[in-house]
Amino acid sequence: MASLLQPERVVYLVRGEKKIRAPLSLLYFCRYCSELRSLECVSHEVDSHYCPSCLENMPSAEMCQLFDCPCCMHTLSTRATNIPAPLPDDPTKTTMKKAYYLACGFCRWTSRDVGMADKSVASGGWQEPENPHTQRINKLIEYYQPLAHREKQERDRKKLARRRQGMPLAFSEKYGLGTRLQRQRPGGPLSSLAGLTLKEGEDQKEITIEPAQALDEVEPLPEDCYTRPVDLPEVTTLRQRLLQPDFQPANASQLHPRHKHLLMKRSLRCRKCEHNLSKPEFNPTSIKFKIQLVAVSYIPEVRIMSIPNLRCMKESQVLLTLTNPVENITHVTLTSCDEEDPDDINSSAKVLVPSKELVLAGKDAAADYDELAEPQDFQDDPDVVAFRKSNKIGFFIKVIPQKEGDADVTVSFKIRHDFRNLAAPIRPSEEGGEGTAEAIWLTHHVELRLGPLAS
Amino acid sequence: VSHKTHKGQIVKIAAGAVVCVESEIRGDVTIGPRTVVHPKARIIAEAGPIVIGEGNLIEEQALIINSYPENITPDSEVEPKTMTIGVNNVFEVGCTSQALKIGDNNVIESKAEVGRNVILTSGCIIGAFCRVNTCEVIPENTVIYGSGCMRRVQTERPQVKIPCFFKYSSIFSSSIESTGTLLHSF
Repeated sequence: MASLLQPERVVYLVRGEKKIRAPLSLLYFCRYCSELRSLECVSHEVDSHYCPSCLENMPSAEMCQLFDCPCCMHTLSTRATNIPAPLPDDPTKTTMKKAYYLACGFCRWTSRDVGMADKSVASGGWQEPENPHTQRINKLIEYYQPLAHREKQERDRKKLARRRQGMPLAFSEKYGLGTRLQRQRPGGPLSSLAGLTLKEGEDQKEITIEPAQALDEVEPLPEDCYTRPVDLPEVTTLRQRLLQPDFQPANASQLHPRHKHLLMKRSLRCRKCEHNLSKPEFNPTSIKFKIQLVAVSYIPEVRIMSIPNLRCMKESQVLLTLTNPVENITHVTLTSCDEEDPDDINSSAKVLVPSKELVLAGKDAAADYDELAEPQDFQDDPDVVAFRKSNKIGFFIKVIPQKEGDADVTVSFKIRHDFRNLAAPIRPSEEGGEGTAEAIWLTHHVELRLGPLAS
Repeated sequence: VSHKTHKGQIVKIAAGAVVCVESEIRGDVTIGPRTVVHPKARIIAEAGPIVIGEGNLIEEQALIINSYPENITPDSEVEPKTMTIGVNNVFEVGCTSQALKIGDNNVIESKAEVGRNVILTSGCIIGAFCRVNTCEVIPENTVIYGSGCMRRVQTERPQVKIPCFFKYSSIFSSSIESTGTLLHSF
């Protein structure tokens, strides 16, 4: 059954700031801290921006020359038509001139639908409409800059007064991006307001603005507001409206095309040791990574292979597989959770795991091609190990569901394996033989969702 | 106009149409001039005749079928209804059309399906993979697109591809020499 192989069935516990349970394929492994990390306990940093359709790198200030269809969000293409236009010297004669307009191949929207005139240049002639409130917002930002600067100075002065040590100043900028010392917290200041702080020593001009005035009279609704029939093709959908938050046009005839949204490449960094966990290539056409410390390439993965009918209070055997991702032999020990284990909150069944140590062969990249390889003899106990295939074994666990009902039967246990840290420097051994990396033992808490009880 | 009777079927193809022998045409079908029917297209008139107008383009694996409605067996008495297709329509690759009345200048894109009770007026575009099974008259210049069959009204119609006809007839006649297939008309 393919549904048993779904990654959400088997989750590993990540002990970070929050306890997160996630499938191994979504986790990262910091080999300097030797701990699992999830997306929530790493810091995300933007590497570069790129346009998804022309796959070009963009410095973040620039905008791509392509536009998005306001109707279906597809990329717009430029089409040319020939229109007769009068010659500049002789107004009576007409000549064919090329006129360009934007058109969507998917929903057949054209720039002529909103009344945008055709341009005579193939690219670069298209402008986004100006927001009428831009000026007011710019003035407000200018007004608040000196205030923020003053607040920051006061805060820093207070902090300096308290701290006697020579610690570097934590720049407590209100409207700026934090440095590495002050990581961006979720819900932190927007990066679009970055760089709003004044430079040190700049004159602080007093800028006055007029406060916003509340009006007593509001424009009344048109009289036929309730009786006028709704012209459905003309009304914009919520999605079309909210994709342009500064205009939010209610009519389709006001839907102007927007500059294409850029995508970004991000790199992930462990918060404790500041090492990079994931760093993509700079080239937008490349999907590879320069650094890719994902958990599936270091931690043995447990997967469910087959489940018999589960009955309450009756012992059944479940077949699981364990895959070894590294090239050396790994020894794995499973232990069931103690009674008072604080991590064990979800399990609804008792589980009996094999008590002997399981040995996994190393992952041999050439195993597929080398058919004459002698299989290594591991002396498996047939009650425990069902089969063995290169770096994978199938083993049995006994499950006794404890609760009745429709909820899924979940079990949890601890898996302890040896990990050779190749990142650490190899100490040369004194006998002059090969120095192997030190093996440390890692323990992970694994939870499996086996499915409902058989009715 | 050439007639071809085969097992009691009548297929009338006007002079100037290009119909490939590889296509499957069954029943009482009339095809107007300058219409191109590509190989592997299927035009099946089961429950009534099909009349196809001028200048249409029926691409490969397109299926135009005048079939019995689902809950009526062929044995019971049903009056045969004629399926009418107008001029300058395009039936793209792999589409299925059961609509009884299709006007002019419509485009049914690849793998779209149009049900029997739909009436296409003119200038309609049924987008790729959209299934339209309602019982309605689609207003003029409607574009149906997207996985949710969203609709909007287009203000511009793409130009009719008249020059393509000559290109197809030259392609098909040149392919006769290479593959030895027969062309049916003229």
